[in-house]
Amino acid sequence: MAAPRSWALWSFCGCGWSRAVSGCRLPGLRSSSPRGPLGARLLSQEKEATETHFGFETVSEEEKGGKVYQVFESVAKKYDVMNDMMSLGIHRVWKDLLLWKMRPFPGTQLLDVAGGTGDIAFRFLNYVQAQHQRKQKRQLRAQQNLSWEEIARKYQNEEDSLGGSHVMVCDINKEMLKIGKQKARAQGYKAGLAWILGDAEELPFDDNKFDVYTIAFGIRNVTHIDQALQEAHRVLKPGGRFLCLEFSQVNNPLLSRLYDVYSFQVIPVLGEVIAGDWKSYQYLVESIRQFPSQEEFKEMIEDAGFQKVTYENLTSGIVAIHSGFKLYLR
Amino acid sequence: MATLLRGVLRPLYAFRGGPGPPAGVPFRAVSHGTGLLYPEHIPTSVLQKVLLAAGSAGMALYDPYRHDMVAVLGETTGRRTLKVLRDQMKRDPEGAQILQERPRISLSTLDMGKLRSLPEGSFGRAYLHFLDVNVASGRGMTRVSPDTRAPTRFVDDEELAYVIQRYREIHDMLHALLGMPTNILGEIVVKWFEAVQTGLPMCVLSALFGPIRLSAQSLQLLISELIPWAVENGRRAPCVLNVYYERRWEQPLQALRQELGITEPPLRVEGLV
Repeated sequence: MAAPRSWALWSFCGCGWSRAVSGCRLPGLRSSSPRGPLGARLLSQEKEATETHFGFETVSEEEKGGKVYQVFESVAKKYDVMNDMMSLGIHRVWKDLLLWKMRPFPGTQLLDVAGGTGDIAFRFLNYVQAQHQRKQKRQLRAQQNLSWEEIARKYQNEEDSLGGSHVMVCDINKEMLKIGKQKARAQGYKAGLAWILGDAEELPFDDNKFDVYTIAFGIRNVTHIDQALQEAHRVLKPGGRFLCLEFSQVNNPLLSRLYDVYSFQVIPVLGEVIAGDWKSYQYLVESIRQFPSQEEFKEMIEDAGFQKVTYENLTSGIVAIHSGFKLYLR
Repeated sequence: MATLLRGVLRPLYAFRGGPGPPAGVPFRAVSHGTGLLYPEHIPTSVLQKVLLAAGSAGMALYDPYRHDMVAVLGETTGRRTLKVLRDQMKRDPEGAQILQERPRISLSTLDMGKLRSLPEGSFGRAYLHFLDVNVASGRGMTRVSPDTRAPTRFVDDEELAYVIQRYREIHDMLHALLGMPTNILGEIVVKWFEAVQTGLPMCVLSALFGPIRLSAQSLQLLISELIPWAVENGRRAPCVLNVYYERRWEQPLQALRQELGITEPPLRVEGLV
């Protein structure tokens, strides 16, 4: 039940973006196919030869998934180093802000999609662990008349330092997951963490399973963003929250000019020098330009069935956090 | 710096007025399909070339195993020198032939069987022996194969791109001609030879900064014996880019050395690292 209005809007903007690409065709997204009888799951059975964008290139939709996979396969090892270099470490602040917006409490079930190297997952685990410890301390302080045995028992019974929280990291790319697992081992994260290989457009989970769904810097690489949003809606529990951290449009014209120069002149050079890979980082900065603006993306999220959709600009709009709630079962 | 920025921003102004792609797009728009001068070409602005040159120089010093950084440094800094080299090649009959026929050296173009059948002492056998030793072994020597020469990407002229590609591909031949192994010391000696021969800024920089990581003993030998020998030979020899190596496999190594005026090295470098 995609609103035709937003699809038209998206295709209009898609046309604008593709002006620079010679011989372009309309690289708009495919409109959502009508829902089949199998509940809310989309069945993408129509094999139209539709085209989409890969950075500023035009490719067929079948190709895009493969090409994106190759990009992330080649950048996986240097992914974290390059993030630090390109954003001068600011990406850590952005991810922290995402967690603070989320404010998870112990017991939250989180699904982190496109979470390959685990940045969001580790922050989540740190946050709920700190919350849980604070809760424990508060409880102990409240119970003033406990005997020593009871206190000792309370500490010994404490096996679950996370209070029942769990995070599932889902990514389509094996290399990124491998790096994430290595990091988890190196930093000592074991409990409450699971790694799943899966496609954001077709998640391997049942309906109504998670409290929070996050996707950080991943959704712009998905071929069918609307399908990913619908999947997000499906796997969330009623009352669950959708959070998306993604590059967006800069609202300050001077900063926008500087940002463009930095993106197109410096970042591919950094990619070449540090990671030996110019083309992947060229794709990265182009894919940022191809992603819809804050308002358009907000409408896409609303179309997927989320309520109370808001967004917050970080760093003048270089990055935006979009948030929506699943309030009704579809 | 301001002129550099202006050079970058000038095409950006052309895109003002109207919605659509942001400033840096022109270069990327060109890099799809018809705008490329050769298959691996990545068009770059002046600012990007400056940043690449600086970055690759730094990275090459920091991590000497990043051969691709040395290659990038050569491509971004060598424009003027490549033109001189190309003109030199055009004036020489053998060099002009190379420019016209554009031979490439890779494992697919090399006929290994034929090379193996050549008589001992020929240039082809010496080159094959060099490849065998340096590909098969790996005891602290860099693995080389004709295919480890990365394709040119950042040169904005198709003929000059071939010239620098040729320079890279005959690097191994020079090792065979000079009798230098592929350890750090051997590489530095060959770089000195190439620096004198070609004048490429990348060769000069590598020759000057490469020895930083050497031990004192090697450094002393380098300065006292190997560098003077390399420089003398580099001066005396005609431009090595003008030699059509693929036609000279049967030529005895000594005869080729004599033709180019290359003498025996003053000491064997194998045992030294």
